Amino acid sequence: MLQSADPAIPRRPLRLIGGAAIAFAVAALIGTLFWSILHAASGQAASGSGIDLGYLIYITTLQATLSTVLSLIVGIALAWALNRLRFPGRSLLIGLFASAIVTPGLVVAFGLLSVWGRSGWLGGLGIPIFGLGGVVAAHLILDGAFAARILLARLDAIPDTRLKTGQSLALSPWTRFAVIDWPAIRGTLPGLAAIIFLLAFTSFPIVLLLGGGPAVQTLEIAIYSAVRLDFDLALAVRLALVQIGICAAIILASAALAPISASLDRPAEPRWRDARVARTLQWSVLSLCILGFAAPLFATLLDGIAGLGDVLHQAAFWNAVATSLWIGAASATLTLVLGITLAAARAASLSRAGRTLLSVPAYAYLAVPAVTLALGAFILVRDLGMSTGFTAPIVVVVANALLALPFAMATLAPPLEAITRSRGKLIRSLDLVGTRQFLEVEWPLIARDAGLVVALSFCFSLGDLGVIALFGTQDFTTLPLLMVRALGAYRTHDAAAIAALMLVLTVAAFVALPRLIERLADARA
Amino acid sequence: MLRFAPLALAAFLSLTAAAVAEDKPTLTIYTYDSFAADYGPGPGLKAGFEKTCGCTLSFVAADSSIGALRKVQLEGATTPADIVLGLDTSLTGEARATGLFAAHGLTFDKLSLPAAWTDPDFAPVDFGYFAFVYDKTKVKTPPNSFEALINEPASFKIVLEDPRSDTPGLGLVLWIKAAYGDKAADIWKGLKPHIATMARSWSDAYGLFLKGEADMALSYTTSPSYHAIAENNPNYAYADFSEGFYPQIEIAGILKSSQHQDLAKKFLSWLVTSDAQAIIPTTNWMYPVTAIGDKLPAAFPAAPAKVLALDEKTITADKAAWIDEALAAIR
Repeated sequence: MLQSADPAIPRRPLRLIGGAAIAFAVAALIGTLFWSILHAASGQAASGSGIDLGYLIYITTLQATLSTVLSLIVGIALAWALNRLRFPGRSLLIGLFASAIVTPGLVVAFGLLSVWGRSGWLGGLGIPIFGLGGVVAAHLILDGAFAARILLARLDAIPDTRLKTGQSLALSPWTRFAVIDWPAIRGTLPGLAAIIFLLAFTSFPIVLLLGGGPAVQTLEIAIYSAVRLDFDLALAVRLALVQIGICAAIILASAALAPISASLDRPAEPRWRDARVARTLQWSVLSLCILGFAAPLFATLLDGIAGLGDVLHQAAFWNAVATSLWIGAASATLTLVLGITLAAARAASLSRAGRTLLSVPAYAYLAVPAVTLALGAFILVRDLGMSTGFTAPIVVVVANALLALPFAMATLAPPLEAITRSRGKLIRSLDLVGTRQFLEVEWPLIARDAGLVVALSFCFSLGDLGVIALFGTQDFTTLPLLMVRALGAYRTHDAAAIAALMLVLTVAAFVALPRLIERLADARA
Repeated sequence: MLRFAPLALAAFLSLTAAAVAEDKPTLTIYTYDSFAADYGPGPGLKAGFEKTCGCTLSFVAADSSIGALRKVQLEGATTPADIVLGLDTSLTGEARATGLFAAHGLTFDKLSLPAAWTDPDFAPVDFGYFAFVYDKTKVKTPPNSFEALINEPASFKIVLEDPRSDTPGLGLVLWIKAAYGDKAADIWKGLKPHIATMARSWSDAYGLFLKGEADMALSYTTSPSYHAIAENNPNYAYADFSEGFYPQIEIAGILKSSQHQDLAKKFLSWLVTSDAQAIIPTTNWMYPVTAIGDKLPAAFPAAPAKVLALDEKTITADKAAWIDEALAAIR
């Protein structure tokens, strides 16, 4: 498939250096965080808390595997239906689906209960929502719809010429999927699977809220407990390393499985409808997904209306909105820059090992437990003699940008690789320098994906609860922190209203940002 | 986007400058988030104490009280905190063992607490009793003991907090231990079919209960007072358990590293005055540690007849084993 020195791929040493520098910096950061904790832990007595590590690993892996497999199946089905169907409100619906992954897990879990809980809209059906099923269902909402959004982008980017050829051959819906769609999404699946697995593996509030007791839990809560309850930092680091080890195995496997995307073009407005049976199936998939995914989010919006008036009058609310917006904007910018650099380096890399080395640190960061991350950063900042109040916003921005980086990689790497492979000869023959290659060839083609990345990382930090917990203060409060604070003071209506407003903001970002950035790119071209 | 950076920098520099320009001493208190929040007791206490102290009172919120303690432990002698406020009596022994806290040298003899206050290092802040709260319109005959709760049909659900992540969760472990001793594991086994879930925090658990996902939630005897006073909703009550109730007393301690020892002591002794304590009930929804007469809202229930207790040394030594025992019984 690939020769070691492919003449079709332009040589871009600067890109490789830039990407390698970022990958190294992320790896070094993870190492430093752990070192800081271990350093602080030295001289501490071990608590010897009785943790059943074997069971924890078993139940966490089972839950994460179920969440991943189901999310991918649902994601493919939904992306397939959305790619074929055109209807009013389609882009709003896509925005709503995609926003689930960045909505705080707590909001989704409560939304799920509004629909399926025993006092919910469909509570009469008596579907048990607590336990492994509930946890997987919540992850499915968060991750399945997100998978659909990412896969849809790949399906929508299938070149018009391929579709026309396929249509003229009168391919059956199944053959069309196997011959045209599958090759387009195949490259994205392993990276996507790795991300979903990591998210489910490290999930914490959802698992405790819906897990139904200690039978269903994750390693992450054992780590949290080691840090908080036992203050056994060495144990926390050991558990975190187990978690990273397992996740790293998944990441490496996915990197090894990932084929390289080879084709990419401007999205075409499809004029090729599938046969009636297939269309019926598509509509059913869509309706089921609306019921399953959109209804809990819709319930969140409805639940929020009661407290809206109160919240809009609070100065603290508007301060939190401002903080959340600038944190989100700053980390989205950072994610985009890092993501494009890494993905471009990946595309320019000729060896599989090189590509793996470039992406592993970014993914590994996602496997670092949030509490360890916050703790390590806190100790590091103090060891460096900086005030935590002063550095809090910087740490939150960087931490959130890095959390979103794997998503940026999963979104940007396939199209950039496809461009390098399909336009490489042209770029070489025109003797374009790297900057012009980027501005004139790549950017116009990836702008829409870049918009998705910006929306994703913007919303990620909007909804972040993990990093800010140790650093947040009275003066530095984001929307999710404000929501938790309201919940902690019996103010459930306020909390529901904040949750609803966050959701609105997230959906708006998902609908508007990709279009905005694509329009900017078009204006340049 | 880069434009934000200098702006943010400027904002921070001006903040630091403001702090330096202040020549009054600042007393820094680490506490849990909802204590310091706008609608918590923090702002009222700040305003009250600053009237007389010639100082600035600054609350710094951590996500939880134990989070505040861990923050101080990480910061060590260089911590900017003078006082840690909000730990409870289940963590006293552990906090004392850190060696970070100084003796307060104060006497607290005019308090109205479940037991006389003799702790040399920590001062009381407020207190409450753990209890299961229910909605009177939905549960007509609430269970009146743990055993009655166990005998409810399996469809009768409760939500708990995880003892590893939340103090009421830990409180229930201690409550059952205090009431049943060696039989505690049997009670936990009996509770298992009724546990809808064990949430990460009190707020998640109570949120689930308010959403109707369970018939009862582990909370405080004073929780119904919030609904009665703030929401004008008299429908909530707590289940009166015949085993008795286990108290949670929130405490505050002065750090040895504090540069403001006298000011910190002054704050702790002011904190138990009726002026300060009158702020507590309708902001933190806990009992004041001093009698405040008719300033205690009528909706606050009378103290339970039977109050349970555990010895601090035993708690510190066996807490981890008790948690493991409870979790193993319901897994």
